[in-house]
Amino acid sequence: MITVNTRILKAEFEYFTPNTIQEALHLLDQYGSDANVIAGGTDLLVQMKNEVISPSHLINIMKISEMSFIKAEEGWLRIGAATKWHEVVEFCAKDRKYTALYEASCSLGKVQVRNMGTIGGNLCTASPAADSAPALLVFNSQVKLTSAQGERIINLEDFFKGVNLTGMAPNELMTEIQIPSIHNGMGSAFMKITRVGADISKISCAVALERQGDICASCKIAMGAVASVPMRIDQANRIVIGKKVDASLVEEMGKKVSEEINPITDIRSTAEYRRKTAAILLKDVFWKAWHRAGEDR
Amino acid sequence: MKTYLIEIKLNGEWQKAEVTAKETLLEVLRNKLGATEVKNGCGKGDCGSCAVIFNGKAVNSCLTLALQANGKEVTTLKGIGTEDRPHPLQKSFVQHGAIQCGFCTAGMIVSAKALLDRNSKPSRDVIREAISGNLCRCTGYKKIINAIQGGALESKL
Repeated sequence: MITVNTRILKAEFEYFTPNTIQEALHLLDQYGSDANVIAGGTDLLVQMKNEVISPSHLINIMKISEMSFIKAEEGWLRIGAATKWHEVVEFCAKDRKYTALYEASCSLGKVQVRNMGTIGGNLCTASPAADSAPALLVFNSQVKLTSAQGERIINLEDFFKGVNLTGMAPNELMTEIQIPSIHNGMGSAFMKITRVGADISKISCAVALERQGDICASCKIAMGAVASVPMRIDQANRIVIGKKVDASLVEEMGKKVSEEINPITDIRSTAEYRRKTAAILLKDVFWKAWHRAGEDR
Repeated sequence: MKTYLIEIKLNGEWQKAEVTAKETLLEVLRNKLGATEVKNGCGKGDCGSCAVIFNGKAVNSCLTLALQANGKEVTTLKGIGTEDRPHPLQKSFVQHGAIQCGFCTAGMIVSAKALLDRNSKPSRDVIREAISGNLCRCTGYKKIINAIQGGALESKL
């Protein structure tokens, strides 16, 4: 086993601090796959210290003020990709509609990490266990990817391609996360299972649903650390949609979720544990979201 | 190797340092600016012993590049209080016996100070959350939480 010294960054790199998105895109166009964007650095610097990646160029985007904002607009909540987690937490604490996102952002990392780490960074690292991903997935979020050639908006679902892999081209920069507005009658929740509080999730789950009395009008489920990417569950949720919700139906949905996921055995859990836990976690998260959706009326 | 001249407002005083891109804020604080009160623990953001207050927020200096701190304000344990003029939090740590081996203490007090700056009367749960990124391998958490609560009361007097 090769041991690394996590107290130092071994490899040399060139460092840039663009002040605008345009400047950053120009640098990305120039250096492309030899460059890495650094935002908060709470994931990237650990990977560099562990010598998992050794970019020859580092582009710090934290001086770009136009990338750090939270705006609630007609139909959308728009969050700049370089917005720090503590800012997301503070916003969601005031505007409690995005409950799943609030719970995910409160539990993400620990204080010091939330004070540096960004929402775009959490997504671009593309860890299967990224806590923000399930919460953003159940809200049908989109991400805006910008390059010198233009911009495109893709569904977050289509953004993740594998462990630490995204559908982003080397010259693209994630500039914005867009979340559709939440309306009355919707409820959401996020929960995760960790060994200790500030640990990486063994398994995480988010649910967002719409409720009409005892009928579940819509239900979206997403899970983290159960496949190579943060995953939308698209079969099990159909069990409750349009039905009168009761305990046995939710039980059945939990079983179906266990079958639908594709977990592996790693240092945090076994695949078997993840399948068994998924069913129980789903039930807990579903009921939380269900009761919240009922509180509105 | 390319070097850069950076300026950091360290504990209220602007200081200059010549750094390379790959140097972390922690390395520069300890090796170039004499701030050895900032401890070098795990190096990957797990233990919190390198915590400093960076623009008003507690962050891990081992996961911050020195260049990212250029032109910014950094407060370490010594900026909170010194041996001659200890902060109420530091006195409280002593009074409550919240120091065992002492390695985590600098980071603990930095995290606690960042908390008290925005919440002068934190509950035990809020304190737990605020020091969730600081590990005490002597496991003296109960006394540390008592000390932070005591320090909060003292700070207001």
